[in-house]
Amino acid sequence: MAAGGMGGKTYSFKVVLLGEGCVGKTSLVLRYCENKFNDKHITTLQASFLTKKLNITGKRVNLAIWDTAGQERFHALGPIYYRDSNGAILVYDVTDEDSFQKVKNWVKELRKMLGNEICLCIVGNKIDLDKDRHVSVEEAESYAESVGAKHYHTSAKLNKGIEELFLDLCKRMMETAQAEERLKGNGASQSASSRRGVQIVDDELQATPAGGCCSSG
Amino acid sequence: MSQRTERRGIHVDQSDLLCKKGCGYYGNAAWQGLCSKCWREEYQRVRQKQIQDDWALAEKLQREEEAAYASSHGVQTQSHSQSTAPHPGHASLGPFSKFEEKKTNEKTRKVTTVKKFFSPSSRTATKKETQEGKTPSPSISRRASFDTDQVSRDFLDFLKNLQKPGREIHKQCRVFIVNMLSKKDLGADELSECVQDFYQNMADRLMSHFKGSSDSVEQVMDQVEKYIMTRLYKSVFCPETTDDEKKDLATQNRIRALHWVTIQMLCVSVDEEIPEVSENVDKAITDIIEMDSKRVPRDKLVCITRCSKHIFSAIRITKNEPASADDFLPALIYIVLKANPPRLQSNIQYITRFCNPSRLMTGEDGYYFTNLCCAVAFIEKLDAQSLNLSPEEFERYMSGQASPRFNGSEGDWPHTGSALGITATNPVLAQVNHNLELLSGLSGRQERLMEAAQSLQADLLSWSDSVQREVHDIREKYPLEILSCTVPAIDANNIDNDNLPSPLTPQVFSG
Repeated sequence: MAAGGMGGKTYSFKVVLLGEGCVGKTSLVLRYCENKFNDKHITTLQASFLTKKLNITGKRVNLAIWDTAGQERFHALGPIYYRDSNGAILVYDVTDEDSFQKVKNWVKELRKMLGNEICLCIVGNKIDLDKDRHVSVEEAESYAESVGAKHYHTSAKLNKGIEELFLDLCKRMMETAQAEERLKGNGASQSASSRRGVQIVDDELQATPAGGCCSSG
Repeated sequence: MSQRTERRGIHVDQSDLLCKKGCGYYGNAAWQGLCSKCWREEYQRVRQKQIQDDWALAEKLQREEEAAYASSHGVQTQSHSQSTAPHPGHASLGPFSKFEEKKTNEKTRKVTTVKKFFSPSSRTATKKETQEGKTPSPSISRRASFDTDQVSRDFLDFLKNLQKPGREIHKQCRVFIVNMLSKKDLGADELSECVQDFYQNMADRLMSHFKGSSDSVEQVMDQVEKYIMTRLYKSVFCPETTDDEKKDLATQNRIRALHWVTIQMLCVSVDEEIPEVSENVDKAITDIIEMDSKRVPRDKLVCITRCSKHIFSAIRITKNEPASADDFLPALIYIVLKANPPRLQSNIQYITRFCNPSRLMTGEDGYYFTNLCCAVAFIEKLDAQSLNLSPEEFERYMSGQASPRFNGSEGDWPHTGSALGITATNPVLAQVNHNLELLSGLSGRQERLMEAAQSLQADLLSWSDSVQREVHDIREKYPLEILSCTVPAIDANNIDNDNLPSPLTPQVFSG
């Protein structure tokens, strides 16, 4: 609810970045938000919380990207981070079999805790090091499909696949949010009218998302 | 006065020990010389009066607020509003206030005792006097109420720009606060739900009013939150119905028990030897401690955000690259361990329960708050594995049998004198060392000062001696001769007198 489309105009989404340390989570977001890699001129003070404003098919989207500490000892803190998030980007290093195992653990945990509401992206990073690849493309992609996640190959160094990753994720989150809104649109009219307040105004509020649904559908 | 002098003496009169009311029981200085029974009666009477005072004040404030509101909207002329505003305000509250009176009385009684502990800064008290010019009363609650008073005024000023909806918002908020105060005995979760429902309703309605401009809605919501939570803070922060306080103590003790955890064990990428970094660390610690003093959840969040920014600066300076969460969380844990912020759990619970959710879920503040929650959760569950220690080592450190700074720096231990060897291993020892150096430097200067003072004294003595000697010499050399001198007659010195012709003598002419 918190991140649902406010009045059908601006969407705010929370996306968590999960994955072992050293798989390049930070490089990935820095490349996406600042278009820089390992650059001494990176202006941002921190790369743990970044925002990006997007305009997708005429709809405004505010993306908040939450980096998480990847060290094993902080694994137990995961639920505090991914609570209420709309999407999760699970990053592994294609040269590191172990990091892919970690991703599998995360997927299990996320599906258990958040069900299907959360859009999952499994990302194999560092494809510039393809010659040292230890995780096969087929294995990764079939796994992703089996858990209802999308798989992407990226390279923060070469700036490959990152735009697509985030754009795709946003579209999927918007679809989820719209579906949710439609569901609520049916059920919410009673609860909304039961709230004390100005009736006329409430009706107007109801009309907005309904119109949005018709035009989009 | 006489009593005091008596008391100072060795013997104490029997009558001094008895209850001042003369009931025959012994009195006690802690009860102002009364016995327990008389004191209770007396205290009850004073308190009752204070409650009445408070209640009267609350009503007065309410009326003033109404008046201010009415006048701010230009519904009536200035002179009119002051005379008429109290009535509608009172009328609308009339049946309600009667109904609420008992509960509020109960509340005030409780709150005043609490207020004694959390009495606000004196700055507000002086302001109040100048602005209101009210007669000073002993009621403590008045000072506290000033904060809320100021906030109400700000809130009214802010709503002025909104005109009619502003009035509606104000009314809603006031009704809500009265409602909330009557629900004091509800559990914290229910209270939280009430507040969250209220936020949700308000946000929905504002959203339709502003036609979906979320910026304006957020602005108003911030003000609403500030107004409501300043008023409700006392009754909903760390309420008695929860075990927040117990958790606070547990966390505090836990952090204290973990005093031996070093920056290396947490793998924090912050180099405190760089002065700029340690300055940022200090600022971060100050900020996180300051959080407890704020009343509005959002202000508390701002403190956490400031603290986080300082941590980021420290990491940025140390590593020369933007801090990722991998760096940030350990650093934040380190800061929390170092700061041991007061009432940490209560504050976290309070923010979770009563903060405007739109901020907490997705905003930047929310991210830092989440990290703080993570840090606390980590500290609570921290074990040997999470510090890369063996369980035995961890046990020994926890029980205080060993300390990592002695174990870890055994090699450096003999070189206590060399500051460099110590700083590499332990900042605390380095600090101690630094302080010792400072002290020895100071004592050296003190000695020099004493020497100089003594020589000055000697100089002064010899100078006065030499002056005396000189004076004496001169007096020896040129002894003072006092010439005897006779007082002469007026003409005594006039030697020429003899040369003068003899005075004329009168001659008689006959003829």
